[in-house]
Amino acid sequence: MTAVEPKTVPGEVTMFQVASPHLEAVVRDLAPALRLADMFASDGDATTLRLVWANDTAGQAGYVITETPLENGVYASVSDIAPAAFVEECEIYEQFGIRPATGKSLNRVMLPPHADLPTLGHKPQAEPEEAHAQHTVGGQAFEFPFGPVRQVGVESLYYGLVTSGEEVVDLYLFTWHKHRGLEWRLQGKTPEQALFLAERTEGLSAVALGWALAAAAEAATGTWVPEAAERTRAVALELERLYNHAAAMAALCQSTGLTVGQSAAEIALERLLRLNARAFGHRYLFGVVAAGGVSRAPDADGIRKILPGAYGEFKRASEALLGTNSFLDRLEATGVLTTGQAKDLGLVGPVARASGLATDARRVPGGPYGDETAIAAATAGDVLARFTVMLAEAAESVRLIGDFLDSETGSGAGAGIAELPRTSGTGLGWAESPRGEALAWVELGRDGRITRARLRPASARNWRGFDDACRSQNVFTDIPIIEASFWLTVAGMAR
Amino acid sequence: MTLWFIRGLLRGVVTTRYPVRPDASAASLPTPPAFRPQALTRPTADRLVGICPSGALRRDGSVLVYDVGRCTACGRCAAEAPHAVTGSGEFELATTDRSTLIKEIPVREEAR
Repeated sequence: MTAVEPKTVPGEVTMFQVASPHLEAVVRDLAPALRLADMFASDGDATTLRLVWANDTAGQAGYVITETPLENGVYASVSDIAPAAFVEECEIYEQFGIRPATGKSLNRVMLPPHADLPTLGHKPQAEPEEAHAQHTVGGQAFEFPFGPVRQVGVESLYYGLVTSGEEVVDLYLFTWHKHRGLEWRLQGKTPEQALFLAERTEGLSAVALGWALAAAAEAATGTWVPEAAERTRAVALELERLYNHAAAMAALCQSTGLTVGQSAAEIALERLLRLNARAFGHRYLFGVVAAGGVSRAPDADGIRKILPGAYGEFKRASEALLGTNSFLDRLEATGVLTTGQAKDLGLVGPVARASGLATDARRVPGGPYGDETAIAAATAGDVLARFTVMLAEAAESVRLIGDFLDSETGSGAGAGIAELPRTSGTGLGWAESPRGEALAWVELGRDGRITRARLRPASARNWRGFDDACRSQNVFTDIPIIEASFWLTVAGMAR
Repeated sequence: MTLWFIRGLLRGVVTTRYPVRPDASAASLPTPPAFRPQALTRPTADRLVGICPSGALRRDGSVLVYDVGRCTACGRCAAEAPHAVTGSGEFELATTDRSTLIKEIPVREEAR
């Protein structure tokens, strides 16, 4: 019935056409062997549903995309087989008005109810469900609304906390308050113009999302990026990981009330941001990735001079924290995600790796990362495991940056840019952001402009694991700690 | 540290000067553009308006209207026309009056 094998070509994207009646069987075949990494729709002559599947096995890592033209606005319920797809089913309903054939209830995840924002396809016939819990649940628990405006400069996010007083019985999120319609805005833009918005999708993943989108456009046009430019992208990506992990460490200290530790981590963070400015002329590394390459070479001497001191600050802070029992006690057994939960929800990045899943887009062959890149992992699945995974990743990032700058295979990390031909095509791009695998998919028209772009930051994937982590025998005060350990952005979800 | 503490108590000032010293990394940061009116022709101005990704530039007759509040200091204009645009080196842009962020730069008419 189906010709789709759950196999990938290492480092490549394999495409399959799947007729709508066969979609359910194909999903059943692929789901046990591959990770459902994304699902999205696009409008053309017919609405097309695309599922992106990832193979995380070392040495075989690659992607499969299935394309299913839909005829009557419904499709087989993918989330009944691969639960990770539920959020995308909701998004697709809001954006295109199409839905799973089971008629299941779909929540509002993207478009604010109070604004008439443009959608990518047809508006849904009926409004999506509002996910409010009943004010009292079984007479024992009640909903405690928190947000969307929260303390200090934290992003807008609404928590529906269902509690019996102290323990978190249930939790759901409203992530649509800062929806900006980015995928809609990308339509009609050239890849060069689109990069500007992709970098600003989350801000904190400028390199990763920029790289993913640039790679998607390069795949769509058959453009080969100079190797030295690929290494420059990797240097910037590892610098991005370093400062994000320092920021996550500071947030963990803040959430546990450890102000001295927070200050120490923020000193490391500031030094890493200044290193970014020295290395690439921007504290948050905007403008480094260009379509077809990179806009500039890194200041290699500056990195060699400043990185040891900045990372030394990071290491001093982390070692002090690992010797502070009052800190570790708050992290241990908090926000536990089992391997099964992480797998079912298709989680990525440090969150998945701390739960025993070795998923990392840097493992996909063909890029600048070699087989010897160490992938940090843990199995406890709690906040402490996520923290230790981040620390190990930071150490590996420092090693990788040194390797890329002194690469024996070429001239280290340099500038270089290949011009993208103005041609039609589709392509998938990926990069391992500090939060996990970032994906981008583009469809280019004959004039080389984007007709449909899909951005899937790691945050868009990992928020779906947050409520499970919060429910695992935690109390109110654990939630900020769990949130810091996930280190996600709301902007990535509310793109 | 002790001296600093005593001096603060005596003077009643417990914060440092701002900036206490120039930040070495500031020199390498992107800053909003500064325009050279003598090199800013109408075609150049139109080209700059066309490439500005955040809509900070528009041309109004013989004036280039530059909204610093919309500028993200991406540097595309300076890269496009380095003869007419440079980095301003200015990044402390706070103001209590939004209208002070709107600049009008005269555009040079081409010799006929």
